[in-house]
Amino acid sequence: MARSLLLFVAFALVLSTATELRGAETVWSGLVIAENVEQPQPIPLELTRIEQPLKHLFGYNQFQVIGQSRKALKTGQEDWLATSKFFGLHVNARGESVAGYVLNLKLYKEKELLLETDAKLSRRSPLVIKGPQVGSGQLLLVLVVQ
Amino acid sequence: MKTFEEKWTAWLDGRLSDTELAEFEASLPDKAAAEAEKAEATKLSLLLKRELGAQALLNEEFFNHQIRERIARESGESRNREAEVSPWWTIRRLLWTGTASLAVFLVMAIFVMRDKNPAEQSQYLTQILNARVDPVVSPNATISMFETKEDRVTVLWTEGLQSLPSDYAAK
Repeated sequence: MARSLLLFVAFALVLSTATELRGAETVWSGLVIAENVEQPQPIPLELTRIEQPLKHLFGYNQFQVIGQSRKALKTGQEDWLATSKFFGLHVNARGESVAGYVLNLKLYKEKELLLETDAKLSRRSPLVIKGPQVGSGQLLLVLVVQ
Repeated sequence: MKTFEEKWTAWLDGRLSDTELAEFEASLPDKAAAEAEKAEATKLSLLLKRELGAQALLNEEFFNHQIRERIARESGESRNREAEVSPWWTIRRLLWTGTASLAVFLVMAIFVMRDKNPAEQSQYLTQILNARVDPVVSPNATISMFETKEDRVTVLWTEGLQSLPSDYAAK
């Protein structure tokens, strides 16, 4: 009986700790160009977690980050921008839930809005958005909670 | 010369010879009554043999027997008293009941969690609530979304967006 109580208390502590830690989570947002090349560069560290699904889904062998942002979320209401020379990804966090963060994403080409989406980003589940074709490659937007 | 009483006793015991038996039975005034009395005496004799045949207790054994009986009686009474005083919900029973209840609760919780699991699993995947493209810039664009369950990756898949030259891949 005492052991069961201890387990329950430990579980509650872990839960509360996890909740506190989520307040300090970091969201990595990246603009990625996927291409097929003869000698592909190693995949960036931020994308190693999803290397296989990226290659499998899009059929490219090289993924290069052309713009990125790493934002530590404290209130879940922050907004930030990941930019490259021509593209800009504006992310506006609109709150936090048990499952993750509610985000509004806008992809700009210079000042032109190409795509807008609302998503609930989970800590365990990266988000990949297929953007426009760029040359022989493909622009991808990737968001990962780290 | 035997007296009548001696012959009567011998007759009852069946110890008369044939000659004596014939003479004695001939001398009886009422043979049927005598036969009935003999039968009663035989019955009484058998009863006495049977009853007296049980071994009588010696004094020492008798007292031992009495003491054992008393001890047994008193311990039986004290057990009964204990049974009356002690409550049914002993600490041990409470512990067992608590443990069993907890086990049942855990089993039920596991079943409930398992039933809910498919619905909750989607909560842990990133969900795309809505998506739109600028119809002026990309009039033929289409949008779809899917999840790869194994890798837990959520994908927003667009088709028909305006293609751009390779210069746009610059950092």
